Amino acid sequence: MEAIKQLILATAPEAVLEEKAHLTVTVAPDDLRALATALKNDPASRFDFLIQLTGVDEGENFSVIYFMTSTDDMTRQLVVKTYTTDRENPVLPTVSDIWGTALLNEREVFGFLGIRFIGHPDMRHLFLTERWKGYPLRKDYDASREANPVDVTSYPMSDHSETWVKGKDGIQHEKIQLFEEDDYVLNIGPQHPATHGVLHFRTALDGEIIKKIDVNCGYIHRGIEKLSEGLTYPQILHFTDRLDYLSAHINRHALCICVEKAAGIEVTDRTEVIRTIMDELTRITSHLLSWATMCMDMGALTAFIYGMRDREKIMDIFEETTGGRLIQNYNVIGGVMADLHPDFQRKVKAFIPYMREKLKEYHQLYTGNVIAVNRMIGVGVLSKETAISYAVSGPVGRASGLSCDLRKIMPYSAYGKVEFKEIVRHEGDCMARYLNRLDEIEESLHILEQLIDAIPEGEYCVKTKPIIRLPEGEYFQRVEAARGEFGVYIQSRGDKTPWRLKFRSPSMALVSVMDTICRGAKVADLVTIGGSMDYVIPDIDR
Amino acid sequence: MKSIYTYIKSVLNGIKSLLTGMSVTIREFFTKKVTEQYPENRATLYVPERYRGVLVMPHDENNEHACTACGICEMNCPNGTIKVLSKMIEPEEPGGKPKKVLDKHLYDLGMCTFCNLCVISCPSNAIIFENSFEHSLYTREKLKQQLNKEGSKLREKKKPQA
Amino acid sequence: MFDFSIVTTWVDQFLRTYLPEFWVLAIEFVVVGVVMLALYAVIALVLIYFERKICAFFQCRLGPNRVGPYGIFQSIADMLKMLIKEIIPINHTDKLLFYLAPFFVVVASFLTFGAIPFGNGLQAFDFNIGVFYLLAVSSLGVIGILMAGWASNNKYSMIGAMRSGAQLVSYELSAGLSLLTMVVLSGDLQLSTIIEKQSDTWFIFQGHLPAVVAFVIYLIAGHAETNRGPFDLPEAESELTAGYHTEYSGLQFGMFYLAEYLNMFIIASIATTVFLGGWMPFHIGGLDGFNQVMDYIPSVVWFFGKAFALMFLSLWVRWTFPRLRIDQLLHLEWKYLLPINMVNLLIMVGIVLLGWYF
Repeated sequence: MEAIKQLILATAPEAVLEEKAHLTVTVAPDDLRALATALKNDPASRFDFLIQLTGVDEGENFSVIYFMTSTDDMTRQLVVKTYTTDRENPVLPTVSDIWGTALLNEREVFGFLGIRFIGHPDMRHLFLTERWKGYPLRKDYDASREANPVDVTSYPMSDHSETWVKGKDGIQHEKIQLFEEDDYVLNIGPQHPATHGVLHFRTALDGEIIKKIDVNCGYIHRGIEKLSEGLTYPQILHFTDRLDYLSAHINRHALCICVEKAAGIEVTDRTEVIRTIMDELTRITSHLLSWATMCMDMGALTAFIYGMRDREKIMDIFEETTGGRLIQNYNVIGGVMADLHPDFQRKVKAFIPYMREKLKEYHQLYTGNVIAVNRMIGVGVLSKETAISYAVSGPVGRASGLSCDLRKIMPYSAYGKVEFKEIVRHEGDCMARYLNRLDEIEESLHILEQLIDAIPEGEYCVKTKPIIRLPEGEYFQRVEAARGEFGVYIQSRGDKTPWRLKFRSPSMALVSVMDTICRGAKVADLVTIGGSMDYVIPDIDR
Repeated sequence: MKSIYTYIKSVLNGIKSLLTGMSVTIREFFTKKVTEQYPENRATLYVPERYRGVLVMPHDENNEHACTACGICEMNCPNGTIKVLSKMIEPEEPGGKPKKVLDKHLYDLGMCTFCNLCVISCPSNAIIFENSFEHSLYTREKLKQQLNKEGSKLREKKKPQA
Repeated sequence: MFDFSIVTTWVDQFLRTYLPEFWVLAIEFVVVGVVMLALYAVIALVLIYFERKICAFFQCRLGPNRVGPYGIFQSIADMLKMLIKEIIPINHTDKLLFYLAPFFVVVASFLTFGAIPFGNGLQAFDFNIGVFYLLAVSSLGVIGILMAGWASNNKYSMIGAMRSGAQLVSYELSAGLSLLTMVVLSGDLQLSTIIEKQSDTWFIFQGHLPAVVAFVIYLIAGHAETNRGPFDLPEAESELTAGYHTEYSGLQFGMFYLAEYLNMFIIASIATTVFLGGWMPFHIGGLDGFNQVMDYIPSVVWFFGKAFALMFLSLWVRWTFPRLRIDQLLHLEWKYLLPINMVNLLIMVGIVLLGWYF
């Protein structure tokens, strides 16, 4: 860490270093790009993995927080902060050419805080329409209905984007054409069977071959981060299940850990083990659904039904203990909502051999199938470099050879006590991603096997204060959700509500690489790649 | 010659993989089906007791409930599903203080996200989630329910709580 | 074996005794036409039910089970729904082609349907170039699909139609060549003669390996021509929503739907006729007792039994495999099926020349 500090002070002498939960560097906007380049390229730091980028309205100024880690050692983390005091016309330099993650994230910050990033190649709103008045995440935002009345007029989508560059006479903006004049642009989405939700790909085609994809998100954006600013922590919990509803339990777990750590609440061993078991069951359901929908996208409807049928078994187990099937509402701050159902252990134990049997069937039905193999091998290759640049993690990142399983790297809950393999493949194609998921189901079953008989006795939930206030500060928690790294960032000012809360969604990273890996593929491949990436739209549109 | 050999081999391998897949589906063709015959199996349908279907306020045989109209559930609800309206009643014996009692406990099923916060925060266990699940109605207005029954009143504290 | 031509000849003679030739022919054409149309619709309804039920069983479901016992009236209910549904008029379409396309598809399949021998003496018309006729008219359907895709003025439809064109034209080759292989064996193009020649042994058993190979290739190519199963690229619901018929609604969509199911039946019937002896019963040389028992089963039952067995196979394939990609589809045809078919045809010619068949 000392070497990194020296590096920071050598590149940006005016930077302010603070030792908080993570090393935090506050740097002036002018030094940002130099510092970012140095941090990424210096062999001692090699911060090549920008986990997330968050804009915060701090009151008198806007700050953007870059949370980064290194693929050499994922436990090495650094927070870089920059700020602008100009509330009227805030501008900051872009880092999108240094980390691909910034491409979509800076657009999000632009839409919600109105900060323009100089040099960003495509400065459009990501989630809101161009006609939206005001910037929702600013504290002085007018949220009344009159400011943005409901409008049912259909406006054509613009084929142009903007970029802002520093010229001789200050900052100028340039118009950018998204597609060429005679491009055959196919709208895949917002209502399309293969996008698994309301996602919109504007796809430029050359015959069947994809030339470019322009991703449009935000069709179901619910403003969860903004809503959270007015709610208490236990109330915010119910949103987490609605982000990536397929790994509902894991998302909720992340927020619970974050709040518990910040408030200094110790949970019992029993809670930890229960949460871990539930996490793994959730992971299995998620991967099963992913397998099923991927097969369906490729035309094998029967496989889809088999996947859903077996997923239903876990849903029944969930329902008995948590009272919910998809949205479980099970984790609470300090523990879990209710104790395990008396039948829980027996049912999980019966499920493990059943699932193993079914996995064999899946492989027979689909993995070996010559049509499926030909459609998956070598299709949509995501290189390790691209994966790192765009901060792609989870089964997809691991299929590209990036070892990024947070359960192994920084074990939380009971993951330190169990042994399991991290599934890493190096091909980076659809087949590798597909196999990774099936192998991860196998590993999850293995974890369940170790834990199901070793649930310690004790309280399932510790008593907490009726009103939870987090001490002033910034808290960040990363967990391994089914689709990759899920993060919760809380900035607290000592209130019972957070000042700013940000969810780092794994699906956003997955969607941001779609353009890169789909180019040159065919329309049918887009569907296969989409299935193998397995993004969940509500996770992107928080 | 070798290319012809690999060509034929690839054809045969392909056919073999297809037949393996077909053997799986034909096996499933004869296994027991998993479809739930829903309206017919209502009597035998198993709904776990923790399933959160709809918020109710249990009343006992004397038409009494446990709600003190404290409003904690309303405060805890993340999206304003619950409205607790209270009224003041004149004391029975002269000189006593006027008492705040429940007038209407309004619950909007259409808004509810079933997060269970109201139930776990209720100090007097007055509301619970019941596991009925057939909630379809013709108008959204009907989803707005009043949980306390007409003429019901607060259960006396002396009674032992279950 | 009951010969249905006794009935038809009797009716013909009966009419001729009372009416002049023109009226006899007119009445016969109308009656045959109506019967065929009715049969066409009924077979489609049965097939839709058949497919939904079988698909459900492959998928661990029960399938339609609400309308009537075991849901047998489900497809009738669906048909009624389809008939009374509104046809949504769409702006910016090429109106003439748009409305014409479904008829084209249906007419093409109906023309093929007419030439199929359903039983002993039950054949509407029996050309001396029967097989050639079947191939010629069954490939007319692609024009309707191309028209639908073009006229819809929808990008999905357009891609679907273009895929369909490439696919049908390619697979027509394989279908044709594999039928040609059997024509070499039979030495005749007339369907009735082809069936007649299979009275002892079906062609698939007569022709050794080449016949089996031709049979398999015909099934694959036929499957591809019906746009079903792993070859449903023109509609590919997960990629192109509904492909060439995205913009169609109501009865117009119903016609595409009808033609799709009938095409499946037609392919199965042609395969039955050419490879599996049509309505001929299953005979084993030397076992006279067994053969006589087989003869008691009516020819219509034999025909439909075989056709439905082949359709079951087609459904089994459809509900097991994922869809091919367009380039893989063309690879399969041009790199695998076509060369194998050519070699197969040559082998068959050799076998016939040497007289090695049964």
